[in-house]
Amino acid sequence: MQINYARKEISCKLVYYGPGMSGKTTNLEIIHEKVPDQHKGEMTSIATEGDRTLFFDFLPLDLGQVRGMTTKFQLYTVPGQVYYASTRKLVLQGADGVIFVADSSADKIEENLESLRDLQANLAEYGVNIEQIPLVIQWNKRDLPNALPVEELEKKVNLFNAVTTEAVAAMGEGVLSTLKIAAGLILDRLNAKEPGAAPSAAAPRPVKAEEPKKEIFVARVNADMISKTYFNQYCQTQYRLSSRTDDVEDFKKFSVDEKKRLLESLLNHALLLQDAKKRGVAATKEEIGKQLSVFARRFTKKEELDAYLVRRKLSMDNLTNEATKNVIIAKMISDVIPDLSDRVKITEAEVKEYYANHKDRFDGKPIGEVKDELVARVKAKRKKSLLDEFFQILREQAAIEVFEQNLS
Amino acid sequence: MKDEQLREKRLVYYQEDVEQIEKLLQEFLKLSNAKAIFLIDKEGHLVSQEGATETMHTETLSALVAGSFAATKEMARMLGESEFSVMFHQGKRDHIHISLVSDRAISAIVFDEQTTVGMVNLYAKELIVKLEKIFSVASKRINQEHKMEEGYSESVQDRLDDMFKE
Repeated sequence: MQINYARKEISCKLVYYGPGMSGKTTNLEIIHEKVPDQHKGEMTSIATEGDRTLFFDFLPLDLGQVRGMTTKFQLYTVPGQVYYASTRKLVLQGADGVIFVADSSADKIEENLESLRDLQANLAEYGVNIEQIPLVIQWNKRDLPNALPVEELEKKVNLFNAVTTEAVAAMGEGVLSTLKIAAGLILDRLNAKEPGAAPSAAAPRPVKAEEPKKEIFVARVNADMISKTYFNQYCQTQYRLSSRTDDVEDFKKFSVDEKKRLLESLLNHALLLQDAKKRGVAATKEEIGKQLSVFARRFTKKEELDAYLVRRKLSMDNLTNEATKNVIIAKMISDVIPDLSDRVKITEAEVKEYYANHKDRFDGKPIGEVKDELVARVKAKRKKSLLDEFFQILREQAAIEVFEQNLS
Repeated sequence: MKDEQLREKRLVYYQEDVEQIEKLLQEFLKLSNAKAIFLIDKEGHLVSQEGATETMHTETLSALVAGSFAATKEMARMLGESEFSVMFHQGKRDHIHISLVSDRAISAIVFDEQTTVGMVNLYAKELIVKLEKIFSVASKRINQEHKMEEGYSESVQDRLDDMFKE
């Protein structure tokens, strides 16, 4: 299996195994026939003149984006004939799951068993236990007059307690359901619990002296892991920048709810920056400088700014990072919402409504006196909701995971 | 197979690795004048591609390259070699040069009369050393947990259903 975070792609290898003429290639042909073009590649067969598979048949399936990951299955068949043992083994290399296509005929029991044991041995050569790999047995050719009852096949052939399905592959019956079950078994493993990963009441494992201290993560945004250290720094900076007072240690008293809220904004920004990177949107030195000078306008002298930084325990780097982020956000907004200037146009009625709803904020001043401030506020509000909309779209496509237990 | 073993068998490529890899592949194409290059993992999954690949069935090509490499390895074993690290197929117009990159990937280079097998070989050797470095750094990195969103497996099964209905 390959997980490619750069391409946001998961690619699994699924091998159809079984005795000669049991219908492995037929399974692939049916899939190829039924699946629409945009979801499949070319079906390739390395076959002999007699149309029997020599090395393997191959069919790539592209399911498209599923929950943020482009999901692909590479379907392979092995040659069934006994004398192709070595090529059969090669195809099995790196298989994430196996569909064993068994022939239901009464006279094929031995061949089925031989092939199943061959599978077991070949997997073992790659260090894989047949009872551990996702394995589905398909009882094929159920329409044959001499087909054995399923109960008998289960008893005689299903040596490893595999999941089984029934099929008449040549008629297309049971092909999809077998594939679906195998896909499910393979992918369920992705989220299999890591031993010791889940928080538990059990005593922590002793840490060896030479073991490096394990980093604690609070969240994952696609391929980026957000460490607790980074998150704490983020909270701290945000607090120090926005606090009304100079009591900069207050952030330590943040409640879990506040931390969650801050994490939400951090996740949004991380997503936006990832998206910006993909689009090649970056901040130039001039733009960052301009943004910084806007901030510096709050101070009349350079010394005042310095004193402010000292009081707030902030560095110029903190400010520069914040400025860079703001520049990129501003650029992205105009990039992804091209009709921004139209959409932030506000009407007289909206301004009036805002004034009516927030009268107390204006100390009873008449609307004419606070018009500029009113317009700015309504615009900012509109911008924020547009940005939230965009964040929502980003988040729907992203793979985000929060490790809440690590927040406190 | 234990879960732990299974995880080790997963090949995980992170953004930063792939970005570096892509840069190296682009550089290689410039230097060698080859038409296209693919980096494929040993299981036959495509890792990265650069150059004029639009008309090629890249997924199938990757599976065939990995398969043929595996077959060559078997040939080597029978001759008492551990592995043939380079393979070359000559065509009338296009040729393909296949080489092993560390123990986990294969590079496949397609080229024509714009260059020579010697040039390709020369720059491929340099490229492989650089790629191996990236792989070795990546493999030492602590394997981050890669969990899919909840319900991912079910969504995939639903998608399969839809595909067959279309």
